[in-house]
Amino acid sequence: MTFYPLFFDIQDAWRNLFRRPLRSLLSGLGIGIGVAALIAMLSLTEGAKRAAFEKFSSLGLQTLRLEAIASQSEKGESTMNLSQGIIQEDAVQLAEWLGMRGKIGVFIKKEGVRISAGNKEVKATVLGVNAGWFAAEGLSTTRGRLLYEGDIAHQENYCVVGSALAANLQVEVLSTIRMENHVATVVGVAARKGRLLTEGTGLSSVDFDNIVIMPLTSMPFPRVVADRLLLDGLVVSLEQAHESSVQFLAEQIRQILLDSHRQVEDFHVVVPLTLLREAEDSQKVFSLIMGAIAALSLLVGGIGVMNIMLANIAEQTREIGLRMAVGASQARIISLYLCHSILLTMTGAIWGGVVGVLVALLIQQFAGLPVVFSSFSLLVAPSFAVITGIIFGLHPARRAATLEPALALRDS
Amino acid sequence: MVLLEADKVSRSFRIGDQSSLALSEHTLSVQAGEFLVLTGPSGSGKSTLLNVLSGLDRPSLGEVRYRGRSLADMTQQEIARLRNSSFGFIFQTPHLLPDRTVIENVELPFHYGCPRSFSEIRRRCLQLLEYVGMAPLTSRYPDTLSGGEMQRVVFARALACNPEVIFADEPTGSLDAENSCKILELLKKQTANNCSVIMATHDPGGIFYGTRVVRLEKLHANV
Ligand SMILES: Nc1ncnc2c1ncn2[C@@H]1O[C@H](COP(=O)(O)OP(=O)(O)OP(=O)(O)O)[C@@H](O)[C@H]1O
Ligand SMILES: [Mg+2]
Repeated sequence: MTFYPLFFDIQDAWRNLFRRPLRSLLSGLGIGIGVAALIAMLSLTEGAKRAAFEKFSSLGLQTLRLEAIASQSEKGESTMNLSQGIIQEDAVQLAEWLGMRGKIGVFIKKEGVRISAGNKEVKATVLGVNAGWFAAEGLSTTRGRLLYEGDIAHQENYCVVGSALAANLQVEVLSTIRMENHVATVVGVAARKGRLLTEGTGLSSVDFDNIVIMPLTSMPFPRVVADRLLLDGLVVSLEQAHESSVQFLAEQIRQILLDSHRQVEDFHVVVPLTLLREAEDSQKVFSLIMGAIAALSLLVGGIGVMNIMLANIAEQTREIGLRMAVGASQARIISLYLCHSILLTMTGAIWGGVVGVLVALLIQQFAGLPVVFSSFSLLVAPSFAVITGIIFGLHPARRAATLEPALALRDS
Repeated sequence: MVLLEADKVSRSFRIGDQSSLALSEHTLSVQAGEFLVLTGPSGSGKSTLLNVLSGLDRPSLGEVRYRGRSLADMTQQEIARLRNSSFGFIFQTPHLLPDRTVIENVELPFHYGCPRSFSEIRRRCLQLLEYVGMAPLTSRYPDTLSGGEMQRVVFARALACNPEVIFADEPTGSLDAENSCKILELLKKQTANNCSVIMATHDPGGIFYGTRVVRLEKLHANV
């Protein structure tokens, strides 16, 4: 068996398309719409998936984040008999409990602080952290050094500045910066890291490139309640990346804090990995609905193709008889008309693909939804078209092949 | 040598719940190189007999043998191959593919037969078109040809694979005297190469070309 006969059948089918170009074009309409829907749907879900992944992996998929619920402690109500929020002792207790299973970073945050160096002044966030915070956030420096345990213990007036902030203030290692009326020496410039994408998680956002990081102990704006330093949040980075153990540890940590906070939930635990899974689940529903729409239009399109093929075959009865008279076997007639219906669906798929890409781009432009074209989506749609062509072309092709040659030739 | 035999073949057609007999227990044998003319009034079953002999149709009763082998025993694939390589067909109205050129139409049987090199096919088909006097029109499309020209293209196509039997069903039916003569001459020439010709015709001029004439009578049998 050589490929030559197949080539001939494809060529024949191709010319056949142009006998009635409008009919061929219209019969591909349903398939085109199906393919367009399929590609638009796949690109949108892929875009949403990618965006969710980016967002939650910026928060760290191996990380748990705890933040004090700010309103409670800032209302000035007496929280003494309840709980004070997250305090240093909580961090110590958790660190002991966690042991080798992870690192704990703690921070206090003050936003909108006027920072100046020389004659330059900008507003930025000031974070007071412990030494473990850098490892928990995975932040490193490009110049100078991080803050060490010693800096924290000795309440040194040292700081690490974010890369954009360093550039804006034109500060270098060993420069001095002023935060309102507090002065600190720059010991390091942090590597670029961007911001935490916290939208919709209930966490407060931080732009790592635009911060001043100081030892917790020399932080100029502490909030102290009953001699206890109130923390704004904890970052727990776990050694274990396995989903169930991340979730298990998150729940354990929540329980421990609840116990020491007299069952008052004055903090907020965010598990980015869990959020990622939830986002994926809700996308699945969307994909399912869009997939059903695409499948339906492929089905309708396929029926349209079958209809047109039956009409073509009725019109070409004499020609089929002729082909049989010069020696075409049933297999060759089937091959010819299958090629025909596949070409019909493929032309539909091609313009459907173009329309699908355009629709996705328009959605991106006007609805602001992220769109990602994967080679998978661009391959899946045409293959569905080919499969539809085969499924719905089979019946007409078989009908053509089982015509009686003598009768077919008599057809007027 | 007997090439093709029909042994008591009958063919009846169902029309509604009636069955009408178009051909009744016809026995016939065709020698190699013979020019057999089937004649008879309209509706006497000439076309039906040709179709049954060429395997385009199956007899209701009886059997057709080609070189001693019954067509009924052949698979559909084998009959297709037989039609491709051993039979040639010419019909009253010339059947050509409208979206293929003259030369491509003549090449058609090669595409359904054993693969051969493209240049070989081209050379052979050009030769044939020259032979039937169509060489100047090889790249024209069928709808730009006259009836006589189309019939000559069909003739070239029938000869493409060197058939052993040519079936011609009123090949001159829609042609004028001059064109009829050309076609009949061409048919006659084929028998010189040991090719048999079986032609159905009303044309008294056609009967004159035959080496043997079989006359069919109209049946009025409704079974
Ligand atoms: N497909 C068919 N269905 C029903 N009846 C048919 C069919 N084909 C042929 N017949 C009948 O069989 C009979 C013989 O037909 P056939 O075409 O063989 O005649 P013919 O001798 O070729 O006539 P003509 O010279 O007019 O071509 C006719 O009575 C015709 O009505
Ligand atoms: Mg007839």
